[in-house]
Amino acid sequence: MKLERFSGDREQVGRKFAEVMVGLYGETPENAKPSPYSGGRKAGMEALAKFSVHGYANTRNKIHGNVSRLSFYIRHGVLGLREVAESVRNRFGRSYDAVKFWQELGWRQFWRLVYARLGDRIYEDLEPPKVNLGKDFPEELPEEIQAGKTGLVCMDECVRELTQTGYMHNHARMWFASFIIHFRKLGWKAGERFFYRHLLDGDPASNALSWQWVASTFSHRPYLFNKENIQENGGKKWCERCQAKCPFDATYPELEKRLFSL
Amino acid sequence: MVWLHGDSLSDQDPAALRYPGADRVFVFDRLFLKQAQLSFKRLFFLYECAAEAVQEIRLGEIVEELQEAIRQRGAERLAVTESVSPRWKEVVAELKKKIEVEVVPAAGMVDVPDGFEAKRFTPFWKKFGREWEG
Repeated sequence: MKLERFSGDREQVGRKFAEVMVGLYGETPENAKPSPYSGGRKAGMEALAKFSVHGYANTRNKIHGNVSRLSFYIRHGVLGLREVAESVRNRFGRSYDAVKFWQELGWRQFWRLVYARLGDRIYEDLEPPKVNLGKDFPEELPEEIQAGKTGLVCMDECVRELTQTGYMHNHARMWFASFIIHFRKLGWKAGERFFYRHLLDGDPASNALSWQWVASTFSHRPYLFNKENIQENGGKKWCERCQAKCPFDATYPELEKRLFSL
Repeated sequence: MVWLHGDSLSDQDPAALRYPGADRVFVFDRLFLKQAQLSFKRLFFLYECAAEAVQEIRLGEIVEELQEAIRQRGAERLAVTESVSPRWKEVVAELKKKIEVEVVPAAGMVDVPDGFEAKRFTPFWKKFGREWEG
């Protein structure tokens, strides 16, 4: 059936679209709200023009660092990889920051090539895990994790941003994936599905293979983080508000012993 | 007619650029969406992309919807930009049984020959990323 072009402001259009698509999305219709990030080539071009690569290399791992937030547009081919790379080259020339940014764009093409080769096999372990990941994994993440109610402020805030906006910073994705896989021993598939449902840039290849990279089924070793890493890259505000006993407050050798020696 | 899909959803799509006079159509895949239960934010983002990029947005079973859109226009064939997604490949295989389909290569950031086996990023980037290295 033909879908009508809805008129009105963004919220009105969102409401009308939610009515037509009822049953085809995860939320209840009353909770169906547009993301603050707009879709479309015009919005993508504006975001590209605003992005300066200065400081990218040294701050991109920080939660408030200079990241591009272009992934939504790149994932859906609204902006081309080469187009984005050339825009940065034309405006800023070749620099340490630009080279790092181009590498990150290169990852996108790399994931696509792996997907082209493997197809739906990306949804199964590509290699044996290098550490004990546990077993009997659930199909879905526990409700308190999906709702951002674990009591661990750093994890909960990242999840809340994801479910409310469709965006999560790349470093936060790595922390969260490591938390799910290694600290909670929930496997990588339920988390992969959770991200895919919510991320505006949710891409089968980039998402599933990144989860496998953290798990160590597509890398030489598991990805771990600790409290020091969170504070260095996310700031101390989360920890200051947190009442939970921190499972991340340890050195890496201690964490490896605790998480993998069973 | 040009079919724009979720991996190539703008008027700068390679198939759209090859046929600038052709109507562009996007289809929300009802079967997939019902099963995937994506967040509304994702769907709306796609709607906004499509609203700018195509003449017609449809909802339903992809092959049927595209056939219907083609029939209504009296078009003779369909052009579409290539995707690596298995679902896309299935749909195109199905379409090819019914109509003439032209697959236009997708543009990447670097040129990689067919058959290259991507396994780890570093060797891939060393081999093909030279244009973008310092």
